[in-house]
Amino acid sequence: MDYALQQLLNALAFGAEYSLVALGLAVVFSIMGLVNFAHGEIIGVSAYSVFLAAALGMTSPIVAVLLAVAAAALAAIAFERVAFRPVRYAPTTTGLLTAFGVSIVVQNLFMLLISPKPQSVSILNGLNQMWFFGPFAVSSLQVMELIVSGLTILALVLFLNRSTLGLAIRAASRDFATVRLMGIKANRVIATAFAISGALAGIAAVFIIARRGSVSPDLGFSLVLKAFVACVIGGFGSLAGAAAGGMLLGFIEVGLLVALPQEYGGFKDALTYVIIVALLVYRPEGLLGQRVELGDKEI
Amino acid sequence: MLSVDNLVVRYGAVSAVRDLSLKVGRGELVALLGPNGAGKSSTINALTGLVTPASGRIVLDGQDISRVRTEDRIRAGLTSTPEGRHIFANLTVGENLRLGAAIRRDPKGVHQDIERFLALFPVLSERYGQAAGTLSGGEQQMLAIARSLMSRPKLLLLDEPSLGLAPKIVVQIFDFIGELKAEGLTLLVVEQNARQALRFADRVYVVSAGTLRHSGPPSSLADEHGLFNLYIGG
Amino acid sequence: MSQAIEETASAPAAVAQPRAALTRSLIGGLVTSLPVLVVGLLILNFAPTYYTYLALGAFVNLIVVVGLQVFMGNSNIANLGHSAFVGLGAYGVAILSTPLAMKKLSIPHAPFGFATLQLDPVSSALIALIAVGIVAAVSGKVISRLSGVAATIVSLALLIIVHSVFLNWTDLFKGNQAFFGIPKVVGLPWMMVFSVVVIVLARLFKDSRWGLQLRASAQSPQASAALGIDAKKLRLMSWVLSALICGLAGILYAYFAGTISPKLFYFQMIFNTLAMLILGGMATVTGAVTGVIVLSVGLEFIRSIESGVTIAGIQLPQLLGLSGVALGVVIVLCMAFRPSGISGRYELDELLSRFFRRNAK
Repeated sequence: MDYALQQLLNALAFGAEYSLVALGLAVVFSIMGLVNFAHGEIIGVSAYSVFLAAALGMTSPIVAVLLAVAAAALAAIAFERVAFRPVRYAPTTTGLLTAFGVSIVVQNLFMLLISPKPQSVSILNGLNQMWFFGPFAVSSLQVMELIVSGLTILALVLFLNRSTLGLAIRAASRDFATVRLMGIKANRVIATAFAISGALAGIAAVFIIARRGSVSPDLGFSLVLKAFVACVIGGFGSLAGAAAGGMLLGFIEVGLLVALPQEYGGFKDALTYVIIVALLVYRPEGLLGQRVELGDKEI
Repeated sequence: MLSVDNLVVRYGAVSAVRDLSLKVGRGELVALLGPNGAGKSSTINALTGLVTPASGRIVLDGQDISRVRTEDRIRAGLTSTPEGRHIFANLTVGENLRLGAAIRRDPKGVHQDIERFLALFPVLSERYGQAAGTLSGGEQQMLAIARSLMSRPKLLLLDEPSLGLAPKIVVQIFDFIGELKAEGLTLLVVEQNARQALRFADRVYVVSAGTLRHSGPPSSLADEHGLFNLYIGG
Repeated sequence: MSQAIEETASAPAAVAQPRAALTRSLIGGLVTSLPVLVVGLLILNFAPTYYTYLALGAFVNLIVVVGLQVFMGNSNIANLGHSAFVGLGAYGVAILSTPLAMKKLSIPHAPFGFATLQLDPVSSALIALIAVGIVAAVSGKVISRLSGVAATIVSLALLIIVHSVFLNWTDLFKGNQAFFGIPKVVGLPWMMVFSVVVIVLARLFKDSRWGLQLRASAQSPQASAALGIDAKKLRLMSWVLSALICGLAGILYAYFAGTISPKLFYFQMIFNTLAMLILGGMATVTGAVTGVIVLSVGLEFIRSIESGVTIAGIQLPQLLGLSGVALGVVIVLCMAFRPSGISGRYELDELLSRFFRRNAK
């Protein structure tokens, strides 16, 4: 029983983290069609900011958390400003390749300016403890991951449904030109979307630093690849799909960890992707995606 | 209120609007008529700034807005209800109306305006919390116009309000447009459906193939029988 | 290989002037490969060994980039998984053609009798290509059904799956360690021959009825569907051809280097070859060739700085990551300012004939 509960918590915690990152990708994709491969490097900027601040003498974990989120949001806005604005109205492939380029640049800047080797960051280690509930031992980090992700998603839903800017983001995902006809500034909507996307990445970064206790140039890259897969399986561009896809991915991964014999553990990632791709054979549009016909016009 | 001088809109090598000039006076309802592909929608999109004109001047209330961004033109008091309505289908009726008032900073006034439109269009009130995509074509057009009015514009551009609607609904829509004019709103209405558009028009411009062919009071169209048939048809 | 050419060549037969179109396309391909031949011959005759080695690497990249162009250039879908096929080709011949004495050291426990099997390089290559073709057909079945973005993500997933299998199936692929002892049977001349073949092949595909239809469907999916064009089938076709060319590149790499390891066929190769294709211009085969030539030279220059250079007596420190930054910047700047790359929309022969025609007037 203990074991089953532990694995359930594992799956939920993994899933929550994928959902956060996948939601960040989906928010940006849904309004401007940008496949943001540089999302992992937003996580990277966030993590390296904490590393640098700690190296310069910052000791408060709370400040570190705030810094991580703020740095990620600012990095996202900066990426948009510098790299994505020139290709805003370009075809999807152009934006995708631009983002890929940004990802390569930033990853290599970490190598060039800091070090290709992982650097130790211990400031957030305190988040990662064992909590005992009677006979059960659970990881504090996993519990926090679950709760914080849940609250974050709730806040995001409230923002998108209550605030004018949130409504504008939802509206822009379908019809950007008409949102501008409402007098709403396009740049503001896009900057907000990037800031949200970045903040979600920053929260994920906090958990990553706390778990690993170190930062490295490719810190966010593989996580974001998985988040992309979560988006695809949920239906690209659908926010609910991204969250659901992330959770599903967490459950598949933990399921494989439990099911696979020790010596085949290395195949976990490969099998996860195989399962996802197999699912796509049956639902090419993803679980919650809708078949959108090109040229659909609301008349 | 609005004056357009020598407007030219090009898409690549194709000219959609050639050297078009027109004026809309305060409180007037001006109809811009013409067949499909005459350049009417291109004109509207140039006025709202969604397309950048190759040349020409657009002056609103004495202020040259030719190089002003769409968002800022709306803030300056010019609003458009686009062709095909473009309501936000995934948002509710209420959310559509709230977005229409995005530039306003008086929550109370916004609330009052919403109440007013709901009273005016009871069907929107019934479907207030429903996704706007579920409305019928006529209801969507009402919503689209109401949404435009939520910003309290000085000048409203209406692009093909009759498009794809049943004749009975078209009459209702134009009745409402007539009321708006009576309330003192300035309107520029782009239409293929000349008969309806002419009901309340003070002046008429006729375009075809991107060029202005005729301008004058509505009665002038009736006089020049040939012109009416040639460009607009029965 | 010749089979593929015949198949591709039969396509324009349906067009009004079959012979002329085919000949033009063939000559076009040969013209495009001229710069490659010239560079190759110069290096073959005049360059020191170190540069020959570099050139071999560049030729492998060239074949990969041309392979990438076959899919990306025609379908306009970004492919971020092609180095998986390069790796499959390379590991295929490594497993089949490595001498038994070497295998005893490297993969003594290989399953399916591979530990005691040694084929000649040519049959090994053919079997490896068939294996690549099978993986490509299966993955292509999925990818050709998806929309552009999802297809790109799945191509990435394929890369990770294949890489992970290389790393973890240690009995067959030797895992993280280098797989050595592959017969070194390919030198610069063979590399040049295959480069020309591949360039011509890519050109023939692009100009064929299928290539044209695929490009049309990428431009306007609805219009081409209305014309009865089966975009999925065409995407699958170009995916498989692209994979076979990439697999060939891997085979040639294994046969000249003699040693391979999984990390060679991972993201670094994707970054390099993608940047080359984008810089050159992915719409044309000429673009692929141009990008490889320009970036190969550029990257070599940057790498010499990266490893710590001495300028005016001052020893600069190692600058690891500099080449990566440069690659990324090339991609970002290209996308922002010249998405069609250096060569734009026209092939080299088309540019030349336009140039001469204008001068004739």
